[in-house]
Amino acid sequence: MDTAKSRELPRADVLIAIMGAPHTGDLVTSAFRLTQALLERGASVHLWTCGNATRLTQLSLGDDKPRNFVDWARAYPTTATLATELLSTFPTTLHWFACRFCSQERGADAHVPGIKLRPPFKFTDHLEATDKSFFLGVC
Amino acid sequence: MAEYLLVESQGRYAGPGSQDFLGDAVRLVESGHTVTVLLIENGVTDGIGSVSDPLGRLIDAGARVWVDGFSLEQRAVLASRLRPGVRPVGMDEVAEHLLRPGVQGVWH
Repeated sequence: MDTAKSRELPRADVLIAIMGAPHTGDLVTSAFRLTQALLERGASVHLWTCGNATRLTQLSLGDDKPRNFVDWARAYPTTATLATELLSTFPTTLHWFACRFCSQERGADAHVPGIKLRPPFKFTDHLEATDKSFFLGVC
Repeated sequence: MAEYLLVESQGRYAGPGSQDFLGDAVRLVESGHTVTVLLIENGVTDGIGSVSDPLGRLIDAGARVWVDGFSLEQRAVLASRLRPGVRPVGMDEVAEHLLRPGVQGVWH
């Protein structure tokens, strides 16, 4: 885990902030799809999770979701695994940040490697460091 | 004039929010801005039918209206049910558009 202290924030093309509850709809799927599509086009992305979305990369999620009883042999990756795969595929252009306050409040500050914890009052730095921003799930 | 990519993800059945959001899109178009609306997730339901609502006014005003093909498939909605002027797209095209200089995105 990286605390991102006293480090220059890398500039990026797009900030995607997942602010809403992540499992009430297709929000997470859309966020992953958009992020991957942007990265595949060579764009750089800051991904920021707040609130319950910080749980998406919780270390305790493990690699796979519980087995599906009607499709026993298939493995369903957790969001933490998907995040790890994205980070390893785009190591220089994807920067994933989790709100430290929201993580700690939920006892979920143990994230998979590559996720950087940031204090909430630093969020505006990300707005300044990116050309465009998308807030998902807050209105 | 500015160029916007407005993403509607909730649809009319989630409350009045989507119609208000699309109403804002109409006002932007009428003010001379360039607007592309993407209907995604449950927002794709706004792309079905032919009633006179903000989306219809948007299309009449010349705005580009896209619908996410993946979200359509997830909901078993055939593209043939979409109202005229609404075009299915993939996320690749959305990302390409968002990265164009000057385009600002808003997600609802």
